[in-house]
Amino acid sequence: MKIVIADGFHEADYLIGLFNNRKNDMVVINEDEDICRYLSVNNDLPVVRGRCTRQSDLIEAGAENCDLFVALSEDDYKNYVACRTAKLLIGAKKCIATVINPKNVAIFKQLGIDLVVCSTYLLGQRIHDLTTLENMVNMLSLEDDKIFIAEIRIGADLEVVGKTLAQVNISDLGSVSSITRDGKALIPNGQTMIEEGDKILIVTTEENKKEIIDIFQRKRR
Amino acid sequence: MKNANTIIIGAGRMGGSIARSLNDVANVIVIDKRRDKISKLQDFSGFVEVGDATDLQLLEKNGIKEADCVIAVTDDDNINIFLADVCANIYDVKEIYIKLKDSRKKAIIDKRINCICPFDLSLDFFEKSKEANRV
Repeated sequence: MKIVIADGFHEADYLIGLFNNRKNDMVVINEDEDICRYLSVNNDLPVVRGRCTRQSDLIEAGAENCDLFVALSEDDYKNYVACRTAKLLIGAKKCIATVINPKNVAIFKQLGIDLVVCSTYLLGQRIHDLTTLENMVNMLSLEDDKIFIAEIRIGADLEVVGKTLAQVNISDLGSVSSITRDGKALIPNGQTMIEEGDKILIVTTEENKKEIIDIFQRKRR
Repeated sequence: MKNANTIIIGAGRMGGSIARSLNDVANVIVIDKRRDKISKLQDFSGFVEVGDATDLQLLEKNGIKEADCVIAVTDDDNINIFLADVCANIYDVKEIYIKLKDSRKKAIIDKRINCICPFDLSLDFFEKSKEANRV
């Protein structure tokens, strides 16, 4: 996979460290001379000094037809223009822009950036999940928050303990994909009974997330 | 009667001059986050707003949904491009002008957007003058 890392400092260094292996062809471009030197020495790869919003600099760096273009500068709008340039002029297949302003996540996506990442936005979502759901639930979102995987720990005081999945009946809302019990994973069916201490993995959607978790978190009266 | 709603983003020399020239023919509002630039706008009787125009809430508060024309002339090409894309694709503004210091960036700009490139205009003027002087 050909991956272009444009601008950034520690973020760039970290991503290069993760993906600079035989499977990937890394292209690193940065506007700052000192950062170019640091990234190059630290990761033992060539780093091209240039502007990631400039078509000619990207071509010179060898970024054409990359599979993934990642813009990491501290300027949201530079990242936006870099991604547009990569997509429209050098044939990048997918573009990722990092942003500082969380409001730009939705706007950049609407304007055609494939993936927009903002640490404050993610932090906000995490806090939201932690404060709106019982802390017995772990959440993972996929496909731009359309699909959720929730891991729910079953306490002794919950209504679902002692019931089969068929009795709980969540079929319209999602599905239970696995149950971890006594350290072993099992793939459940309708007759599987829920026991105290189970860790239940549920796949659901944004609309049904709250309702399905409420069912599994309801306390016994 | 003034009936075209025009938003000018950037109150520098160019934004200020455009604002003055449109003063009598359009309803003009000038937005800039630099308070000193806004307060230095002379001979302009339209509306002004101190704020960050990349904030869509601020644009909406200032009538972007009803705007006939947006002119983005900040000092940052990338912000001007972003604003033009927002106006064209989210608010469907019919007439959009932006300033580009680096005219090579025109290659990623939608055809509906008019680019003003001072460098290109200067070069064009020089070449035409040179040609005229040769005759």
